[in-house]
Amino acid sequence: MAWTKWSYMDHWVTETPQGPQPPSFNRAYMDRYVKELSALGFTGFDTFFFYLPLYAGMYGGVPGFERFLQDNGFEKITGIFSAYPSATKYAAPHVRETHDRIVADCTNTLRMCEGLTGVENFIVMPTSTYWQTEPVTDDTIKVVADLWNRVGELTRRHGMTTTCHFEFWGAIRTREQVDTFLAHTDPELVRFFCDTAQHTIAGVDPVQLFRDYADRCTGFHFKDTKDVDEHEAYRTPPDPELMAPQVTRWFYEMGEGGLVDFPALMKEIVASGYDGWLTVEHDKAELGGGSYAEATAVAKWYIDNVLAEAEAEARAELGSAR
Amino acid sequence: MRDTLRWAYALNQWNVRLDVFVRHEDQQRALKTVSACGFDTIELASGTGRWDNISRPEVILTNHGSHAGFLDFLRRARVQGVSSMFWDPQAPAEEEEGYAFRSTADPDDADAIVEWSRPFVDFVAGVGAEQLVVRPVGSAWMTPPLDADGIKRVGDVWNRVGELTSAAGIGLAVHYDCLGAVHTEAELTGLLDATDPARVGFALDTAELTVGGIDPVAFYRAHADRVAHVHLKDTRHADTGEEYRMPGAESTMLKGGAGRRIERWFFELGTEGGLVDVPGFVAALREHDYPGWVVVESDHGGNPAELAMLNSWYLQHELGIAK
Repeated sequence: MAWTKWSYMDHWVTETPQGPQPPSFNRAYMDRYVKELSALGFTGFDTFFFYLPLYAGMYGGVPGFERFLQDNGFEKITGIFSAYPSATKYAAPHVRETHDRIVADCTNTLRMCEGLTGVENFIVMPTSTYWQTEPVTDDTIKVVADLWNRVGELTRRHGMTTTCHFEFWGAIRTREQVDTFLAHTDPELVRFFCDTAQHTIAGVDPVQLFRDYADRCTGFHFKDTKDVDEHEAYRTPPDPELMAPQVTRWFYEMGEGGLVDFPALMKEIVASGYDGWLTVEHDKAELGGGSYAEATAVAKWYIDNVLAEAEAEARAELGSAR
Repeated sequence: MRDTLRWAYALNQWNVRLDVFVRHEDQQRALKTVSACGFDTIELASGTGRWDNISRPEVILTNHGSHAGFLDFLRRARVQGVSSMFWDPQAPAEEEEGYAFRSTADPDDADAIVEWSRPFVDFVAGVGAEQLVVRPVGSAWMTPPLDADGIKRVGDVWNRVGELTSAAGIGLAVHYDCLGAVHTEAELTGLLDATDPARVGFALDTAELTVGGIDPVAFYRAHADRVAHVHLKDTRHADTGEEYRMPGAESTMLKGGAGRRIERWFFELGTEGGLVDVPGFVAALREHDYPGWVVVESDHGGNPAELAMLNSWYLQHELGIAK
């Protein structure tokens, strides 16, 4: 049976009378957006912490928003993404003095999720930008790990798993840095979230990384890239994702000739026994005239055809090995 | 779509300007989108010239070598085939004397139009499609008023083309549109009466009929035996002010340049304020064991991928059809 737990990460831009906007423009646009995702077969929904107050206002609370999703074919909100991409004097994961503030912010986010069916992942960017954090030493990583151990304990009390999503431009980006971070964090409290494009850009093989940390992995962002960062773009201030001189668009949907070996990852996922959600993410799909809707349909086509075949092959191999 | 009715999707909304739907990889993305939405069969629409390489038969064949080569191209995206192709002989085409502006209403143009149909007849048959869907007559604002003799002359052209399609083993379906010189229900019935039921069917477009003031459900029930093809889409407006008669109605009416300034007439299934009774119409098709294709269309709409996804949602969730 083909994988049914596909979720969608809440990036989307659509045309409105006020120009291209996120569908939170108003409820009519949200209706269209959610139905479009549902038509393709997505049943899980991941969103950002900063959208929660907006959705709460539109739907009378975050649970009201989740009921709207459920009315349109979704099972539930599956993940909440929280981040401090820019280090400030208030919040910077590598600055221990800001940790109380970050924990307080996380507490507020968790409070907004009360009454939901069961968010599984509290997804975090473990650090801010590399250029604001460097030099990145073992001690830096240890400070960051201490923060997420605290948050991991907090989210566990709320039934959610803290799981770390590494950016190619973040302070923990190389394989060695990821290994160090995961070694310093409590495996029961802090998990690993595999963004296939981000790791590939950083020169880390996401398939091997998953293979090595499958027991700590609680989710994926399936997205592709066509470039490895070979020019230290990750150090570009203030933002490497949109301002890197050599690469104007980093992220692509699956099936468009990118570098990530998704069939191999799918087979590895099946072999590992992982049975959680798989999330499709399209970040900045509008660059170069692209459309989020078409990118999403093309990605789902790839899932329904290419990945379904890889999954079936992996299950057959598992069956014959038994 | 897994259903007793046969569902297809029209590609026309992707090809909205002269040069925007040319690269094969862009066409593959559209085909994958249609496939991901649950449709494995498509309708093509006619075009002209080197950039219409998924629209003009000769150009398609230049691109893909053969009918089989084109079908292989579709099947790369898991689209299995073509239901039908739309052709408007009144639209200027390089391959059809350029800007000759011939009309089926002019008896002097009949021979040329019948000749022009041959590439389409051959192509529709060659790719295993079932219907050549045609615009039977040009826009009302460009055509002298049609009396019964005029409608008969139009019908005669399509009877002749119908001989070609019958010989090729395909169907011919005349399509009503809201700007056409055959406009009222009486004129439309007159056209159907003027054509040979054995060779010429009717392509019923739910939104076009509604805009034109004709109830598609009632019309289907009255003429079910003639309906050989369906275009399913919705509209929020009826042309209650005879805007179709305005000069340049393609722009002044359908793009809101004048009249009530309505900039968009056609909408996806399930649109808020839609005038078409889609469930009622589909139920009528089922009652009559309608055997033809139901082509979901999103032309003159918006982002084609979004519209395809919304139409897919409607079929799955409102009509209860499994993808």
